Amino acid sequence: MGLLKIDDLKVHFPIRGGFFRTIVDYVKAVDGVSFELNEGETYGLVGESGSGKSTTGKAVVKLNDATSGRILFEGQDLSKLSFGQMKPFRKDIQMIFQDPYSSLNPKKRVVDIIAEPLRNYERLSVGEEKKMIQKYLDKVGLSPDSMYKYPHEFSGGQRQRIGIARALTLKPKLIIADEPVSALDVSVQAQVLNFLQDLQEEFKLTYLFIGHDLGVIRHICDRMGVMYRGRLVEEGISEEIYENPQHIYTKRLIASIPDLNHEMREKKTNLRKRVAKEYEQNHSKYFDDLGRAYDLKPISNTHRVALR
Amino acid sequence: MKGESVNNIQLAKRSPSGIKIIWQELKKDRLAFGSLFFLLILLVSVYIASFMMDQKAIARVDIYSIYLSPSERNLLGTDYAGRDILGQLIFGTSNSFTISLCITSLTAFIGLSAGLIAGYFGGVVDNVIMRAIDFIMSLPSTMMIIVFVTVVPKFTVTNFILIMSIFLWTGKARLIRSKTLAERELEYVQASRTLGTPHWKIILSHILPNISSIIIVNFTLNLAGNIGLETALTFLGFGLPESTPSLGTLISYARNPDVLENKWWIWLPAAMMILVLMLSINFMGQALKRAADARQRRG
Amino acid sequence: MWKFILRRFFVMIPQLFILSLIVFALAKQMPGDALTGISMDPRISPERIYELREKAGLNDPWYEQYGRWISGIIHGDFGKSYTHKIPVTEVIAERIWNTVFLALITLILTYLFAIPMGILSGRYNDTWIDKIVTGYNYLGFATPLFIFALIMLFVFGFSVGWFPTGGSVSSKVDAQTFEYYVSKLHHVILPALSTALIATVGTVQYLRNEIIDNKFKDYTRTARSKGIPDNKIYTRHILRNSLLPIAAFLGYEITGLVGGTVIIETIFSYPGVGQLFISSIGLRDFSVVTAIVMMLGFATLLGTLLSDIILSLVDPRVRVE
Repeated sequence: MGLLKIDDLKVHFPIRGGFFRTIVDYVKAVDGVSFELNEGETYGLVGESGSGKSTTGKAVVKLNDATSGRILFEGQDLSKLSFGQMKPFRKDIQMIFQDPYSSLNPKKRVVDIIAEPLRNYERLSVGEEKKMIQKYLDKVGLSPDSMYKYPHEFSGGQRQRIGIARALTLKPKLIIADEPVSALDVSVQAQVLNFLQDLQEEFKLTYLFIGHDLGVIRHICDRMGVMYRGRLVEEGISEEIYENPQHIYTKRLIASIPDLNHEMREKKTNLRKRVAKEYEQNHSKYFDDLGRAYDLKPISNTHRVALR
Repeated sequence: MKGESVNNIQLAKRSPSGIKIIWQELKKDRLAFGSLFFLLILLVSVYIASFMMDQKAIARVDIYSIYLSPSERNLLGTDYAGRDILGQLIFGTSNSFTISLCITSLTAFIGLSAGLIAGYFGGVVDNVIMRAIDFIMSLPSTMMIIVFVTVVPKFTVTNFILIMSIFLWTGKARLIRSKTLAERELEYVQASRTLGTPHWKIILSHILPNISSIIIVNFTLNLAGNIGLETALTFLGFGLPESTPSLGTLISYARNPDVLENKWWIWLPAAMMILVLMLSINFMGQALKRAADARQRRG
Repeated sequence: MWKFILRRFFVMIPQLFILSLIVFALAKQMPGDALTGISMDPRISPERIYELREKAGLNDPWYEQYGRWISGIIHGDFGKSYTHKIPVTEVIAERIWNTVFLALITLILTYLFAIPMGILSGRYNDTWIDKIVTGYNYLGFATPLFIFALIMLFVFGFSVGWFPTGGSVSSKVDAQTFEYYVSKLHHVILPALSTALIATVGTVQYLRNEIIDNKFKDYTRTARSKGIPDNKIYTRHILRNSLLPIAAFLGYEITGLVGGTVIIETIFSYPGVGQLFISSIGLRDFSVVTAIVMMLGFATLLGTLLSDIILSLVDPRVRVE
């Protein structure tokens, strides 16, 4: 059964204008998105910047308010809850942020950063708390004496591990990882990704993994959804989408992945030209008159595409 | 953040807190450090002296020693009522400084609360607070303060401090708001929210420490400014009441052209005292400002 | 663009309304009203006073009194001065041009000092000339206007005797002659100079920082890498970008001057609106006081409006907010 079910989620931001600063239009950051996460799986959301993938993730933890739609977590609708009412659920849903530099308060020691959620939810003695933090530092591969250091004494990869440790302390069921590796050096990216997968097994975590790199997403996600302009255009098992993309946007996304293999280069160029042509010719097959993607339709049990 | 050298990592409990950086910057700036040192000595001796001296004796009118020029008995001479200038100078300095400190603290408290709330919550709250600030800032504040002082039924030092504060918290609130706004967008604040930390705790324990250096700088500069404003109002006759002489009281004798032209010992020492106070506080403030603004930091 | 100006204008209406309410409330708080003088007179019976008060509308509810008061102001009627026994508008009219003249000369001097100093210290930052300007800035920033003005008056008015120590024009010259205007200028220079030397500090600082900032912007580097001579980079690129905001601060500068007039006119016994304000408070002539507060309040609101509008013309980003 689904751990998280997102049903026709919309997040609209008002644009104010005119004489009295009234609302003249909306930015439809997320415009009718539905998908489901099963326990223990990793679900990826891909798309270009501004496609609404981060907004979707942030709506789940209420960093953005949902305009309409439902966010069902273990059957409970989170979308209507207030900031205060949300508190008990935050224990189960944690987030890992994109920028390891700004996501840790520079004025706090590691011990205070990691203990922040613990202090909000549990009453632990100083000794218990210390033991707990040491345990999690160990889990993310940092030495116990990092406890009294400040974030600026660590590298980007290490900082991201601190952020992960912080998200783990409450033993959450779901972790929303908002581009957790895109701010890191390429050499560290794989390391952190593998490490996230190890943690998943150990703590039985479910990931909602947000990213813009289709290669990364395919590598770590069981299923994925491709977002474009606030809509899902294709959704299903990662392998299936990657090998057999149906929507033109997915095709373009895949075509854009650079290939290091020398001989493949020409083939790739041809593929790109073909896709670009198809995009021009069959635009109406994929988008309606307003440039909005159609609703998803199943083409198999595990694969849905937004076609007319 | 300041580039800490590698060997600092061993010093486990070292804190890069704003206050510490500021202190180190201050030590580097000889002028500012000298000002701090000088100011401390000046204030401590003024407060001790005013504590030991008999205020009534100084306020006593002595018609046989009117307008005496400086002598051994009255080091800085006497005023139109034969009162010792040096004594008044000491009381004036301690009164002016204490009251400016009160005004600065009160406006800092109001400005900080309003700025943090407006910046953190945004939306309607922000709108209401900002409109109020815009309005107060566009009033002719000197005049408004004078009118308020005239109108208030019972004029006391407390009332004076309150009236001044009504008009002086706005600049600070605006500054704090813009800093809070910038801070709020950083991911660590969003992270705190997802960690279940309540709003008040995010504001007090996350945002506040990160803007602390700006608050300190602003506090220092405001303190100097408020000494100037208080003495100016007293000079005009709308500041501290007679019972609480300020440095401005001494200078206000110079509104009489005869005093201004011929009896410099009455007003000039007080004027110099204000200048010295404001200069040294400002030197410190400017050094702190450089410390807080990494762009201008001196190596 | 016009939308912004218009909206900004409409924001001013409630501000003016609130200002007038505050001033009205303060005026009501002020001891004494139009009939206080009469009610002290023992020959007039209390019944008669009550009748007079009734007739003058002083017993009406406050909003009716406010309505009459505000509609009077809109028609240019601020009531009558108790001490001068003539309409307040006439009392103020006698003084207002002195104040405007003083403010104008002050503004001219302020910019005359600020622009060269700012440009020099910004362009040649960290040289000796910059150090002098920065040092001057430090001192100017820390010096309260009233003390500086007193010292100026003491030195140049009394000790050296180069400038008159009070008044706005010498009584020995006839009006409308050439000497008359020279004398006026002679009287205004010292107060204007004192204010300008202090007021210029903020603008110098701002201009210096702007120029230094712009010096390292990419567009300046591009221009330099194209081989454009330094002088041209400054006149064509940097100054244009740095001076525009300075021009926009004109309005705020006016707002600041309004506060300063009270102090500066008192020190130099300069018969302007600021001095009238202080002396009227001393004389308890509150109809004059309210009129001045209302007028100068309006002037500061206009000053802020002016700056906001210029700023939005110069910098389109302001309009969005």
